[in-house]
Amino acid sequence: MNEMSTARAVAGAAGTPAKIRLLRAEKTFQVRGQDIEALHPTDLDIRPHEFIALVGPSGCGKSTILNMIAGLMRPTAGEVLYDGQAVTGPNRRVGYMTQKDTLLPWRTTRDNIRIALELKSHATPRAEADDRVRQMIELVGLKGFENHTPAELSGGMRKRAAMARTLIYEPETLLMDEPFGALDSQLKLLMLDQLQSLTQHRRMTVVFVTHDLGEAITLSDRIVVLSARPGRIRAIHEVRLERPRDVFKVRFTPAFSEQHERLWDELKDDIIKGTDV
Amino acid sequence: MAPRTAVIGTGRARRPGATGGDQSALERFFSTSAGRIGSRLVLVALILLVWEYAPVPRATRFWMSSPSLILGTLWDWLFDGTIWAHLGSTLLVMSEGYVIGCAAGIGFGFLLGFFPRLSRVLAPLLASFYALPKIALAPLFVILLGVDNSSKVALVAVTVFFLVLTSTIDGVRAVDRNTVNALVLMGATRTEIIRKVLIWAALPWIFTGMRIAVRYAFTTTLLAELIAANRGLGFLIELSSGNFNTTGAYAAIMVVIICSVLLTELLSRLENRMSHWNQKFTPRSAPPSTAIA
Repeated sequence: MNEMSTARAVAGAAGTPAKIRLLRAEKTFQVRGQDIEALHPTDLDIRPHEFIALVGPSGCGKSTILNMIAGLMRPTAGEVLYDGQAVTGPNRRVGYMTQKDTLLPWRTTRDNIRIALELKSHATPRAEADDRVRQMIELVGLKGFENHTPAELSGGMRKRAAMARTLIYEPETLLMDEPFGALDSQLKLLMLDQLQSLTQHRRMTVVFVTHDLGEAITLSDRIVVLSARPGRIRAIHEVRLERPRDVFKVRFTPAFSEQHERLWDELKDDIIKGTDV
Repeated sequence: MAPRTAVIGTGRARRPGATGGDQSALERFFSTSAGRIGSRLVLVALILLVWEYAPVPRATRFWMSSPSLILGTLWDWLFDGTIWAHLGSTLLVMSEGYVIGCAAGIGFGFLLGFFPRLSRVLAPLLASFYALPKIALAPLFVILLGVDNSSKVALVAVTVFFLVLTSTIDGVRAVDRNTVNALVLMGATRTEIIRKVLIWAALPWIFTGMRIAVRYAFTTTLLAELIAANRGLGFLIELSSGNFNTTGAYAAIMVVIICSVLLTELLSRLENRMSHWNQKFTPRSAPPSTAIA
């Protein structure tokens, strides 16, 4: 399988320069003096305005890729380019929603969501900020919980608050690490719907890590399948489903099932192997 | 005082062996709050009676004094103003030292917390000073600043300073790295990170340090006054003992006991309020279901 050339060919076919580029990027961690290779040298081009999902077994370097794009982690070797420029420090063009929410415990939901608009880099007049916060709270279904602190919210609510906090300043690129892990399936569909309409409407580039193949197919333009540690790209799937997609119905179409089956075939060996390790 | 001890009492009653339906009448009596308070009063009254009326030789009586003499002395002090002067002086020294120590500790703690490089340079020096029992500096401070209040204020301030400094630095350091990173990616400047995250995150730690420091401030003030002073409760104990006035020493100690009980009570109320505040702002680590299991 020649995944590298596949990735390159796809980017080339689109005819636009990549928004984000991994060039032989690899990451090795030192754990108690032992080298643990988290990510094998990897090439990947992510196009502008693309919604791309990273799927794969635990510990396959999905989060590592996000951290490198965000500039919170330097690749051990190779390079990560953003708009053609090497990422060497915190990348302020991306909004990053980490797996563990980082809401400020002393702020209410409302003030947590507002925080980006208080910063000089996104300075927003008070009235407009109030307005946008109100809209966001409604969008993620947290109405009535504006004055609660994170400790008073459920896990799912905190995830939604974290999402609202990231979306409110409309970063051009969105990195999301299993954002809907803690949500029940009904609520998850609602959130997927909101996320899809927002990111499509604002033409955001989204890199989305998930365990849920259905979620990945519903939202993505392409799905990157990673193999177990050391992580490497096993295949890249184009999702050929019409946009806009109806997140509530798309999962019952034959095209969806077919895609799901192909992905599962790709993944199952690794997942079984992964649990053995 | 009563509610807190009541909790401890219930805990004892539930100890294995004391549980079940076979509680004796005596145990039932002690498990009511009236019963506990009543028995406490009886115990105290017994001690006072023995102390007052025990048939002891004259010399022994002189050394052990008696409750009536002590009360008489307290009474006199209360009305000739002695007690107010000394108590006032102790409280003044304590609070001046406390405020100065806290302010300096928080300020310097933030400085070292925000500038880790500076803190790496100074850390060993601070650690060695932190380890030093500050009371060892008391004689030196008397030489440098005189026998007046300022030497005591300085000693209390130094003691409080190190306690609050350490907790402030720890508080700033304990800030979740990911939280800071999230704000950095949003485009927050260094100042914004400090203003919106670090200071807030350190607050519970600072309050804890400040709370602990109150007791230290009180103890240090008394010790400093015992060593060399011309007023204060510690001085009153020292003066009375120096004159072989045991009654006076007991009376002064009584005042100290009353003060520390009041202080403890005040602090435990503050602590209660703070733990509510902390709970409100600390995310639940486990969902309620696991908490029950």
